[in-house]
Amino acid sequence: MEEIEVVGQVVGGKVASILVREKSGKKLELGDLLVTEEDGVLHILQVYDLKYGSQVPQSVRELLAGLKLEGYGAGLTFLEPKLRNYVIAEVKAIARVEGKNITIPKTLPSFFSSIRRIRKEDLAFLTKPKHPIYLGKVRSGSKILDVDVYVDGLEVLKHHIVIPATTGRGKSNLVKVMLWSILGQKNFGILVLDPHDEYYGRHGKGLKDHPKAKDNLLYYSSTPPAGANTLVINLRSIAPWHFQGIVAFTDAQQDAIRLYYNNFGEDWIENIIRGTEVQGVAPRTLAVLQRKFDTILGVYLDDSGNLQCRNRVFSDTAGMTTTRDIVNALEDGKTVIIDTSRLLDEAELLIGSIIVSEIFYRYQRYKSTGELDSKPVIGVVIEEAPRVLGQEVLASGDNIYSTVAREGRKFKVGLIAITQLTSIIPRTILANMNTKIILGNELATERHAIINSAAQDLSQDDRTIASLDKGEAIVSSNFTKFAVPIKIPLFKDYIETNSTEEEEKTVFVG
Amino acid sequence: MPKFAHISDCHLGAHRDPILQKLELEAFDKALTKCIEEEVDFIIISGDLFHSNIPDMGVVNLAVKKMREVRDKGIPIYVIYGSHDYSPNKTSIVDILDSAGLFNKIVKGKVENGKLKLEFTQDPKTNAKLVGISARKIGIEEKYFEILDRTSLEKEEGFKIFVFHSALTEFKPDFLARMASIPISYLPKGFDYYAGGHIHKRIEESLPGYGRIVYPGPLFAGYPRDLEQSARGEKRGFYIVSFNEKVEKVEFIEIKICDYLFFDYDASNKNSSLVQRELIQKIKDLDVKDKIVLLRVKGELSGGKTSDINFSQIRKILMEKGALHININRFGLTSREYTSLKVMGEDIHEIESKLLKESIGTVKVSIDSLKGEKGAHLAFELLNALRQEQKPNESKKDYEERVLTQAIEVLKLTEVFE
Repeated sequence: MEEIEVVGQVVGGKVASILVREKSGKKLELGDLLVTEEDGVLHILQVYDLKYGSQVPQSVRELLAGLKLEGYGAGLTFLEPKLRNYVIAEVKAIARVEGKNITIPKTLPSFFSSIRRIRKEDLAFLTKPKHPIYLGKVRSGSKILDVDVYVDGLEVLKHHIVIPATTGRGKSNLVKVMLWSILGQKNFGILVLDPHDEYYGRHGKGLKDHPKAKDNLLYYSSTPPAGANTLVINLRSIAPWHFQGIVAFTDAQQDAIRLYYNNFGEDWIENIIRGTEVQGVAPRTLAVLQRKFDTILGVYLDDSGNLQCRNRVFSDTAGMTTTRDIVNALEDGKTVIIDTSRLLDEAELLIGSIIVSEIFYRYQRYKSTGELDSKPVIGVVIEEAPRVLGQEVLASGDNIYSTVAREGRKFKVGLIAITQLTSIIPRTILANMNTKIILGNELATERHAIINSAAQDLSQDDRTIASLDKGEAIVSSNFTKFAVPIKIPLFKDYIETNSTEEEEKTVFVG
Repeated sequence: MPKFAHISDCHLGAHRDPILQKLELEAFDKALTKCIEEEVDFIIISGDLFHSNIPDMGVVNLAVKKMREVRDKGIPIYVIYGSHDYSPNKTSIVDILDSAGLFNKIVKGKVENGKLKLEFTQDPKTNAKLVGISARKIGIEEKYFEILDRTSLEKEEGFKIFVFHSALTEFKPDFLARMASIPISYLPKGFDYYAGGHIHKRIEESLPGYGRIVYPGPLFAGYPRDLEQSARGEKRGFYIVSFNEKVEKVEFIEIKICDYLFFDYDASNKNSSLVQRELIQKIKDLDVKDKIVLLRVKGELSGGKTSDINFSQIRKILMEKGALHININRFGLTSREYTSLKVMGEDIHEIESKLLKESIGTVKVSIDSLKGEKGAHLAFELLNALRQEQKPNESKKDYEERVLTQAIEVLKLTEVFE
């Protein structure tokens, strides 16, 4: 019979706070996954706090320390120190495993039951879903188990994913790993609005190096490398509602925009820039709109009266099919990266708004015509999500991103929202984001916002989240039985081992 | 100041109708006559000079006569293959006329160490340097662009022209949204002029890093849709470009050979007999004399079948009123009595392509290249190869062999049958 390497023993506590005495020298860590095993039933436990325990009264311990520090007896020690002084781990039971049946634990493990570290075989119930998104490997404390963690993309994407973390914790590395694993799966169309131009891999490794990139990845940039598309959007593709929640207009300006749109249809922006007079629009309002469009879109009239586009991303002649090409590609299950690194915030969000609106309303139509089931799930990666999902922004009304957050799942459109500031996203929006991949965060207010909106009870994980190192994360999802601690591989390491078809491995099911 | 003409998409031999055939040749003749009058130094034809790789010899004969007249005036013609006159088995009329010295096919190069290295052709009189990439049958030879050694082309000094027959994604018109295209980033930068073909719409553009990017559009019409666009006001013609060290002037020369009339009729919520009556009534009032008439009937009939509408009678009335040619587009016409029609399109090619894409999922195959869009594309190419008609004076044996060879090449099975 295999001998169990015991690392501790249950010595007390209650459901959410089981006390485990650490066996000396076993060095339990925050986040460690432990197991008790009785009659074929496993309880998976997780350490969320550590503290000292001692049989020696505090005053005696302080006296002994003083004697040593002040030179009265360097050789002084406790009698049987390993027995008298120890570490108590506070753990919580996160899963009960009985064969293939995984449930939330409703009983305590037996008093005094022995605890061992988790092993790969304990997680054999984790299988690779049919439409996998790879996240990393199961992590126990800082130790990595050879168990891959996937979530079922079809489910989690349409129910939105939020990735909260502060700078430098590996958000974009995680997203790159996820997108790499998705690329080529025809069940997903992914739109990436990339304000840092970091996903394609223009100057290093990136999604362009994926073996299926040629047929499944489109890259749009205002300065495209060979083979990539020029990001150029025709002014006629822009409708007034694309600005909603992206650019603030006064009531008078909105009325003017409506009048121009009613009068000139898709040529409304051109006519505003050209200063075509419309009854009911004050010259001053028109002048302000011209200035706004100059700032946001870079469109103006030159000295000869010709329409010019300063940043070349918006054009009155080129880019007639750009939006449609992108939406068609998404509908064909491809990944589309839009490099917006050279654009102002508003222009970036506007482009996203144009594309997301097009795909969202197209999918709404598919639902009404009964075609939606055969269409891929669309995911929209949006960086610095509070720019469009923040309380302050939404106070003036919804935009397409918040509409997707609230209603997208009905139409198979979801967000992958990346943020440093979860706390300023309204709870109503966060509640709709059913998967949270939580990376390290040193800001207590942010941790609380994350914990309060998590799919599982993470009320005791505040310290654990604070202590997450770069690349370490916790996956909390309605589609997981428990919050899974993971280690995300470095993208460059991951792609080296995943440039060919992946082998079947023991994996986590979402 | 030196100048050249840029012509594209002549599609000679596209039409079976004698009137249209005459008009397409007339447009070609008129354009080359204008080139002679304007004393251009050379002419670029950026693909699809002919509508097929082996066009009707009568058409070829007339075209050759005109091109010889141009050549005899000392005006060289530089050409590339288009998607129509490309021949995978190297028997294109373009090659024959190139060999005969009538014009100069400028696509020259070789693949070295995985890179396509193109050679410039220098016009002896103006020293302009031309280089180009031909198209292939249906769609784009994207592979050529992928492996193109752009750096060496960009380093070349002098006045440079890049000739190509591909749709550029950035400039695709709205009605060609689904057309296969390449991004402009595949083209070498720094050329003075990019002479495009394939898009049947006039386009003059520029983007940072690139000189003038010009598509003249068809000289007359390769498809009924071109006629429809002409009838809607799209001007047809070609460009004359003046240059010194840089492009100085780009001028569009309109070639107008006839008048058009476009008539759009919406049959939605009307039954077939009402549509018949209304159409006859309406066309009686039209002035169609000596005009190409484009009649588009669209919408869903509330009753009756589409075949109940006697379009022959409508055609006859229009002919009697003196119309030059009548094209009736009823691809957008459906009836509630028929529910099986799932796709709509503006021409046969588009409808076929959509139908194949819609249907490919119902065919169970194990090979990846036969699935999805790739499979539909292959089926479309095969269909085109198999439905070619026998040429005049072509023996049955030669015809069968030609069709078979092309079908085998489409299927990439040449080595198997060798």
